[in-house]
Amino acid sequence: MSDPTPQMSGAVTPPGAPSDHAMNAEKEGPSLSYWQLVRRRFRSNRWGMAGLIVSLLILLTAIFAPFIAPYSVETKDRNAIYSPPQTIRFIDEDGRLHGPFVLGFEEVMDPNTFEITFEPSYAQVIPLEFFAEGAEYQFLGMTFDTHLIAGADGQFVHLLGTDGLGRDVFSRMVYGARVTLLMGFLVMAAACVIGTLVGVTSGYFGGRTDTVIQRMIEFIKSFPDLPLYLALVAVLPRNADPITTFIMFAAIIVLLQWANLARELRGKVIAIRSVEFVRSAVAVGASDRRIILRHIVPNMSSHIIVWATYVLPEVILLESFLSFLGVGIQQPLVSWGVMLNAVRDFQSLAAAPWLLSPVAMIILSVLAFNALGDGMRDAMDPYSND
Amino acid sequence: MQWTRIPMTEPLLKVENVAVSFRTAVGVTEAVRDVSYAVDRGMTLAVVGESGSGKSVTARAVMGMLAPNAIVGKDTRVWFDGEDLSTWSELELQRIRGKRISMIFQEPLTSLNPIYKIGDQVGEIIRVHRDIGKKALRKEVLRLLAEVQLPDPETRIDQYPHEMSGGQRQRVMIAMALANNPDLLIADEPTTALDVTVQAEILSLLKQLQTKHGMAVVLITHDLTVVSKVSDTVVVMRQGKVVESGVTAEVFANPQHPYTRHLIESEPKGRPDPLNEDAPVVIEGRNLGVTFSFNAGGFFRPLTKELKAVDDISARVRQGETLGVVGESGSGKTTLAMAMIRLGVFHRGEITFQGQRIDQLSRKELRPFRTKMQVVFQDPFSSLNPRMIIRQILEEGLVVNNIGGSASARDKIVRKALDDVQMPHAALERFPHEFSGGQRQRLAIARAIALNPEFILLDEPTSALDLSIQAQIIDLLRDLRRKHSLSYMFISHDLKVVRALCHNVIVMQHGKVMEAGPTAKVLENPETDYTRRLVDAAFNVVA
Repeated sequence: MSDPTPQMSGAVTPPGAPSDHAMNAEKEGPSLSYWQLVRRRFRSNRWGMAGLIVSLLILLTAIFAPFIAPYSVETKDRNAIYSPPQTIRFIDEDGRLHGPFVLGFEEVMDPNTFEITFEPSYAQVIPLEFFAEGAEYQFLGMTFDTHLIAGADGQFVHLLGTDGLGRDVFSRMVYGARVTLLMGFLVMAAACVIGTLVGVTSGYFGGRTDTVIQRMIEFIKSFPDLPLYLALVAVLPRNADPITTFIMFAAIIVLLQWANLARELRGKVIAIRSVEFVRSAVAVGASDRRIILRHIVPNMSSHIIVWATYVLPEVILLESFLSFLGVGIQQPLVSWGVMLNAVRDFQSLAAAPWLLSPVAMIILSVLAFNALGDGMRDAMDPYSND
Repeated sequence: MQWTRIPMTEPLLKVENVAVSFRTAVGVTEAVRDVSYAVDRGMTLAVVGESGSGKSVTARAVMGMLAPNAIVGKDTRVWFDGEDLSTWSELELQRIRGKRISMIFQEPLTSLNPIYKIGDQVGEIIRVHRDIGKKALRKEVLRLLAEVQLPDPETRIDQYPHEMSGGQRQRVMIAMALANNPDLLIADEPTTALDVTVQAEILSLLKQLQTKHGMAVVLITHDLTVVSKVSDTVVVMRQGKVVESGVTAEVFANPQHPYTRHLIESEPKGRPDPLNEDAPVVIEGRNLGVTFSFNAGGFFRPLTKELKAVDDISARVRQGETLGVVGESGSGKTTLAMAMIRLGVFHRGEITFQGQRIDQLSRKELRPFRTKMQVVFQDPFSSLNPRMIIRQILEEGLVVNNIGGSASARDKIVRKALDDVQMPHAALERFPHEFSGGQRQRLAIARAIALNPEFILLDEPTSALDLSIQAQIIDLLRDLRRKHSLSYMFISHDLKVVRALCHNVIVMQHGKVMEAGPTAKVLENPETDYTRRLVDAAFNVVA
């Protein structure tokens, strides 16, 4: 306090009282904690907010997949192999307004090429129902049978078409979000925990510990990524069940990802360990454990969170890429990458371009999580002021 | 002064109603409002104020160099030599920046570009504004470097900034500012980052150059000694407003505004209480040594060099005594003190604390001693963990040492410590960023006091603070010493503060003791040349 009578002044500079930092706006408002400031700064960032909202929507889709998807992953509509997406319509043949409905298809064979095409036909009008009864599913240990959308009287509706076995692309994409995001979050969480532990240990204790850990990180970082993924996946047992493959696959990605965080944190820890509040803690006799947990890690948290939001889209891309190649997640688990695996050849791509719809989801989610990460980084940077 | 169009009676620079606000995440904050001042040709105007008073912001508004989130008030007028700069475009302003108006900044270490030679950087300024040949340019640069009394300009011109000391770099900055014979020089805390003895040299150089070139100077500073010695007129700012202005001598002799009076009175005063010579020794270090070794050779010819940061020094503090350790930056004073309390590197010597040897103890074995010897650091902004509330910060020492036992007992101790440093109890639930520098330093002292220590190491606890707050912290430290019969080791480069607080003093240079003894004796009759220079610099700024 800069005034001569400090007893009279409150903790926060009262208006009109001298302050050695009158320009610092934070002191003039009500008491704001760090996280309150972060929230405020984040909310004023439109791109970041859009990212947050879209990310949340994708997350909700994944969590409530059985409700949102009209059918299960394996439900086959034998009358609709490679059937194209059905458009939701509101106006019928005679130009009258209706509730939402879709049209059934009529198979038309080209007399010259013998190619079969699907033509929407008003002969078969399928009204859409919301919160309709459908196939049963388990959620949180309970059984439900309500779905967001379904065709009336149990008729099939394929909003994004079907694949070669007559399975609904929309339903599979919604379920795919579960596996893809689960993979993303698992890898993110594991890489954060390992990276933080190793990075903080390396930076805080220094000396020989640091040297050993850093050489190890350099060793891991010097692997060529792609061949390593392929080689590691190749050694996974062929007939292992899909869950084991999934976990092993996640473990392999974690193995290569944690090193980045560990290295970044090490540098920050070295800087922060000589900052005076850490030395003050040593001066009052605090143990290493306490200093790390109470002083160092909390001050790294913003960095770790931002890193996590950046690593998530990276894992989503990596997963879809490797699953597309057929070396990642295995059937019958469905991820976006696994779905893209079906369009490996040009014929199916030309015949059924709607099978590419998971690409849109990948792009959307990567953009959203990146925007979220950017917004977080800007909001958490204590030096930015606008 | 080639374009003089108006009579000399008109001031060279006249700023009127300067108002600046900044857009921030939590709304618009006003930094400066309604500031007006004027400087005549060849005169020096000092703008004084504590940090956050808006003195630098006003100067930057004159140069049109504000941050992008700044909003300049619409009544703001900047008259320079009869022209209204506030209506000029960025391009027009660029033409007079560095030519007719120059600026020197506080940090000589970062104001120069590390990858260009000194000569190129000074030459650049000249070439931008003048058409000049290569040979003539080099000659001109050499002339400038000689003018700012840089030793051996022929060699220096081809050196890089890292090869020079802070003072030499500031001389180069001054050479750059003078390169085009400006009419006005704005110096923003030009000596704050420099050692005291260098400060005095730079100020007298500025004064000489000003007389020689007939420049007007706007000197932005918080140091009242500098103001009274160097300036003709003075403007006192506080919280973005001018509280008093006038001829320097008159303002100092007869300050009108209570704030000015308060500033002038807050020079460190008083002398330490008499010391009981028979009091027991609290901490003593004998023949202490700290040596840093670094690799100076190449990869194939390793050569380890040693730097003796603390070279065979002994120091002793009795109960109730304050021992001052003075010296310029790099003299080893902090290394010595940190080694004494076993918080920093320590290599040789004997340390006894209250009769017990502590020089060979491990970090774990030292823990019982930690509550008895505490430390307050220089920078109050980095010494409090930004993620903890004040209660957690003050309690930490109690928790780790199992003092107080219950939460309510700890609460009592913490509240008492807050009372001791005269802070309100409401501070407990707040975060450090809500407090000003002076308040934070009080909290850092409270953290030390809460453990009820015998000895506190004060590592330049006042040098990051504004003058008026400095005085309060010194008074507080003096009160606490009396109340708890504490002993201090006080590290400082400011001899005024040392004189007000310390019984005995050690003067250090290059890791060695130059002089030691009772403060009054050392400061009044310095025996070594080095001490004499320090004393001169502290008490008579410009000789």
